[in-house]
Amino acid sequence: MTKIEVILISGRTAKQGIGLEEGKSSDSYFDSVNHIMLSPDDVETLGIKEKDRVRVTTATGKVTVNWVTDKNLDPGLVFFPYGPWANQVYGSGTGSTGMPVMKGIAAIVEKGKGKVLTLEEVVNTLREDA
Amino acid sequence: MEQTDIVCPFCGCLCDDLEASVEDGHITGLKNACAVSRSKFLNHGKHRVESAFIDNEPVSIEDSVQAAIDILSHAKRPLIYGLSSTECGAISKAIEIAEVTGGIVDNTASVCHGPTILALQQVGESKASLGDIMNRADLVVFWGANPTAAHLRHITRYSVMPKGMYVEGRKGRKVIAVDVRKTGTARFADKFVQVEPNSDYELLQTLRAIVRGEELEATEVAGIKMEDIKALAAEMAKAKYGVVFFGLGLTQSEGRHMNIDAAVGLVAELNRKTKFVLTPMRGHYNVAGANTVATWQTGYPYAIDFSKGYPRYNPGEFTAVDLMASGEVDAAIIIGSDPGATFPADAAKHLTKIPVITLEQKITPTTMLSKIVIPVATAGVETEGTAYRMDGIALRLSKIVDPPEGVYSDEHILDMILRGLKEAAQ
Repeated sequence: MTKIEVILISGRTAKQGIGLEEGKSSDSYFDSVNHIMLSPDDVETLGIKEKDRVRVTTATGKVTVNWVTDKNLDPGLVFFPYGPWANQVYGSGTGSTGMPVMKGIAAIVEKGKGKVLTLEEVVNTLREDA
Repeated sequence: MEQTDIVCPFCGCLCDDLEASVEDGHITGLKNACAVSRSKFLNHGKHRVESAFIDNEPVSIEDSVQAAIDILSHAKRPLIYGLSSTECGAISKAIEIAEVTGGIVDNTASVCHGPTILALQQVGESKASLGDIMNRADLVVFWGANPTAAHLRHITRYSVMPKGMYVEGRKGRKVIAVDVRKTGTARFADKFVQVEPNSDYELLQTLRAIVRGEELEATEVAGIKMEDIKALAAEMAKAKYGVVFFGLGLTQSEGRHMNIDAAVGLVAELNRKTKFVLTPMRGHYNVAGANTVATWQTGYPYAIDFSKGYPRYNPGEFTAVDLMASGEVDAAIIIGSDPGATFPADAAKHLTKIPVITLEQKITPTTMLSKIVIPVATAGVETEGTAYRMDGIALRLSKIVDPPEGVYSDEHILDMILRGLKEAAQ
């Protein structure tokens, strides 16, 4: 299966802001943060279709999410809105600054198997017995 | 009933021209607000925490406060965290709780502009109010910042579109966006400079050297041709009044505070030739207030430890992500923040291993993981208070409607906890 090496950038989107202010248990928040944005070229390389999921893997974690195309992205650059799904692939090392790196992270993206976890499920992965 | 001059409690812009229609205790209309602000004001009643809870069982506010007092008074190393989405009165009480418990108080600056503070403490800053920038700036640079997604009225209300006293609005200003991707801000800008990821430091230092008049041997830096960097430097130097608005593109990528150090260095160099200022695009509406209140109460803006009985400051050691990842803290009280949704998973996991007390309006990943949840009113919608804009200007938040019955402000609940802790200590 095709895998691509990418640089992951996280950040805010207006939809995420609108969703979180409605409430993080709302569908609007869920839909705003459970996906990555890919360049059209990367979508073609991965050979993914509308209903497919993608798996994002970094040195510190992996997560299965939805995807959308962002024609303004260059190939090899992937945007992941801030949120509990993106947090699955960040490390907590801060280099003694207090700040984990959330932008410019090396990652692998491939067509994913399985479903996108619900908010409750993704929160439950944090529990000790998960 | 119509209310005017309402300050929006969403982002660091603190737009203060909102107008609300209120009927039967409900907000029925809102003018001048951005899409996120509308969502905040019109949905403030949705998805609420409907009662106080202990271990997911509904309890009275008083019982939840007493349980919080018991946890905090017995904790050896409690963390008091959050504070960017609440008003200054609550922040002040939270810091006092850290002092009384010998705990650690940190605010969300540690995961947004903490590196900015670290750099500015080392090298100073050349700053201005947003009003001054609106009146004077003829060159506006957004560096690693995308206000079209995070500060929706910044461009239209403060930095670019408004007519200033000495500048003709959009026509009178040149806008440059420096970013790793073509954001909405980059598409709006007159010029987009695309920097390679994790290379901002190199670009900033190169610009600084060029402005100083150094000859460089490199033909390309950070993925940008030297002639283009020289053109950018010339453009910055010829501005009458320039501003760099910078965002988390600089603080959350490799280099962190050193990126800001370099940005300050560039702005200092430009000030030898013209007038230039820089302003961090603060995210949460009162994260600047959290830093301000912490500084006047303890001498330090965030990452403050009281375990020795006096405040000590050490980002990297007393910052929430580090404390969670190392498992150092044995209890936490979270106010005006959602670390369950904003921390890397292996740091957030610690929230499931210790008793967590959360003061929240709405259901969040952090409330889902908390032993005690105490519902609170929404500052700036259901209670008054003070907040600090991204440029350090203090503004008064309004109460527009009543909070749900029996729900108090963050400050009120924190005061109840503080009094109980003081009694328990006697």
